[in-house]
Amino acid sequence: MTQATLEVPADAEIKPDELRAQVAELSRSKGEPDWLLAFRLASLEQAIGMEWWTGQEESWRRTPRERLPRRARVGRVAGSANGTAISVPQHVFAPDAHAGLVHQIDGRVAASNLVEQARAQGVIIKPLAAAARENSDLIQKWLGAIGAPADRYEAFGRALWTQGVFVYAPRGAIVDESLFYLITQDVAQGDHWHYTLVVAERESQVSLIDGGDADDRRAELPEAPLIHATVELIAEDGANLQFASVQRWHRQTAAISTTRGRVGRDASIRVTTAAFGADLDKQRIDLDLSQNGGFAEIRGLFVGDGKQHIEHVTRQHHKGVGATSDLLIRGVLTDESQAVQYGLIRIEPEGQKTSAHQTMRNLLLDDGAGADPIPMLEIEADDVKCSHAAAVGPVDPDQLFYLQARGIPPRVAERMVVRGFLSEIADGVPDEHMREVIDELVEIQLEPAKAAT
Amino acid sequence: MTSPLFEIDSLEVAVEDKQIVNGLSLTLRPGEVHAIMGPNGSGKSTLANSLMGHPRYTINSGDIRLAGESVLEMAPDERARAGLFLAFQYPTDIPGVSMINFLRRAMSARRGEEIPVREFRQVLNEVLGRLQMDEQFVRRYVNDGFSGGEKKRAEILQLGLLQPLVAVMDETDSGLDIDALRIVSEGVNTFHSDDNAILLITHYQRILRYVQPDHVHVLLDGRIVESGDASLAERLERDGYEPFMERAEERVLTS
Repeated sequence: MTQATLEVPADAEIKPDELRAQVAELSRSKGEPDWLLAFRLASLEQAIGMEWWTGQEESWRRTPRERLPRRARVGRVAGSANGTAISVPQHVFAPDAHAGLVHQIDGRVAASNLVEQARAQGVIIKPLAAAARENSDLIQKWLGAIGAPADRYEAFGRALWTQGVFVYAPRGAIVDESLFYLITQDVAQGDHWHYTLVVAERESQVSLIDGGDADDRRAELPEAPLIHATVELIAEDGANLQFASVQRWHRQTAAISTTRGRVGRDASIRVTTAAFGADLDKQRIDLDLSQNGGFAEIRGLFVGDGKQHIEHVTRQHHKGVGATSDLLIRGVLTDESQAVQYGLIRIEPEGQKTSAHQTMRNLLLDDGAGADPIPMLEIEADDVKCSHAAAVGPVDPDQLFYLQARGIPPRVAERMVVRGFLSEIADGVPDEHMREVIDELVEIQLEPAKAAT
Repeated sequence: MTSPLFEIDSLEVAVEDKQIVNGLSLTLRPGEVHAIMGPNGSGKSTLANSLMGHPRYTINSGDIRLAGESVLEMAPDERARAGLFLAFQYPTDIPGVSMINFLRRAMSARRGEEIPVREFRQVLNEVLGRLQMDEQFVRRYVNDGFSGGEKKRAEILQLGLLQPLVAVMDETDSGLDIDALRIVSEGVNTFHSDDNAILLITHYQRILRYVQPDHVHVLLDGRIVESGDASLAERLERDGYEPFMERAEERVLTS
């Protein structure tokens, strides 16, 4: 049914020579070191050599691909504004108190700071562009070190990024409070390519909250903006890394993210994402447990409305002995919104004593809403514990009746059940302020009288 | 005689086209405790749920009146706010919704205005203490992971907080050990006053040792086949439901 639109020549906009020149200019104008230019250009060549998709891949089959632009535009180069604070309204997700924060709008830096307690331990949070100059060794070592790009979006993400953040916790550093990376989507500027790199050295502990909002939520855009976020999470042996991402992009946005994590020996990575905005949000989360005793957790929460498509493509990849992973996705779908969860647990022959689990639950509040949760197991080790569960259904009428029988009106009762349903994930976000923000966004998104169309 | 507080008038109730309650009438006056006793399948839970307006049950004919007003057209939440209460046989668990949030909303709904936090705390602690329940209890999610006894106590906690006019207790005694039964019964007795009425729906007479009924009714095949005072419960305990069943059969045959 959507075949016609897919016949549009996909690569019409990919002009290799033009892109090479633009990327070189981008890198030069930002004053990047030579190795970074080389990294960008190498990534660009990888991207050029790849397909967007064939449509046959399991991870793409259920995506309404006609709503995701196949486009690689080099974003606006924000002059010399790398590091210079500009004046923009405070980000709505901004917390009153935090350990450190970077706020960017369209590649420009609106705020960047870090508390002394963290700074004294050698912790870093700063715009990626600044880190590439000031902490060149670290960035050169870690940027893209997680592995070759898996597809064209990821490869372009490495070549074209104009904004991003670098978070670093040296060996043994403990940051008690969460660090924040806030992005304001400048809707007038079209496409955005973000790059987030978090490195937790041995025995360290760090938590980053990534929040994305739009500067003008009401604007009618002539073209759907594309946002790609590259997220690379490295937890070295014994480190604990937490990453939470909350997005409320402009409602016409096509958002795609590629989050990859590498869990060291006895280390942990916990990823929580909460999706509210965008027309299409396709999140790819791939956590690699190739060391013994690692722990990985994926938590996904979303509330869809209108015709939104919200998709999670995840992989819990076990290779180490005695590692544990757990995925829990809970979503609420209203109007005609649709969700897909394609979750793979992959256990290599070496991955004995693995414990891996996944649960996907979708609440449908309207007849037009739908969800397609697909848990997959590929197990090549024989001594493992795995489970998966997937559910799609309406709010339990007995729960509604129980609340109503205590005088609570049906609409309020439904809200209570829905928020309760989501709370298991929201409550796990490592910052109270952010939990409140998520609560508010859930409430707004569930409001049937809201202006979004 | 005072005017009726709760009237069930020739009530016929069906579940998925099968009629379960077949013309049941009952009148509760303020201050009264009525017990409806019946074996499995006699229509006890259908009656209880239909009184509260569960959407799965269809009222084919008859009426239900609370303080003279028909509640048939009222949604369950409106019935509750008007002062009708159902203690569930199987209280539903609602993960993610804390008891304390739920109780405060329920109390505010019953009152028609937000209850101030201070007052809420005070009333809550009082009722918790009476039911020998720990304060931590209300931090848990509604009925989630509760033992059978905890669920029933939570129902009585709500009864105490919401102060309804009429409380319908659906097999509140089932699944309780003797200590829990005593505490739950005390909760019911403390709630009971000259201004409210209680309808105990039960299979066994054992709760009636703690909560004294003014009237006892035997429910069979969705009808009340016999009514009497507390001594009827004793007869049931001694002879079981058999004699009533035989008589009910005779009646069906001769009608």
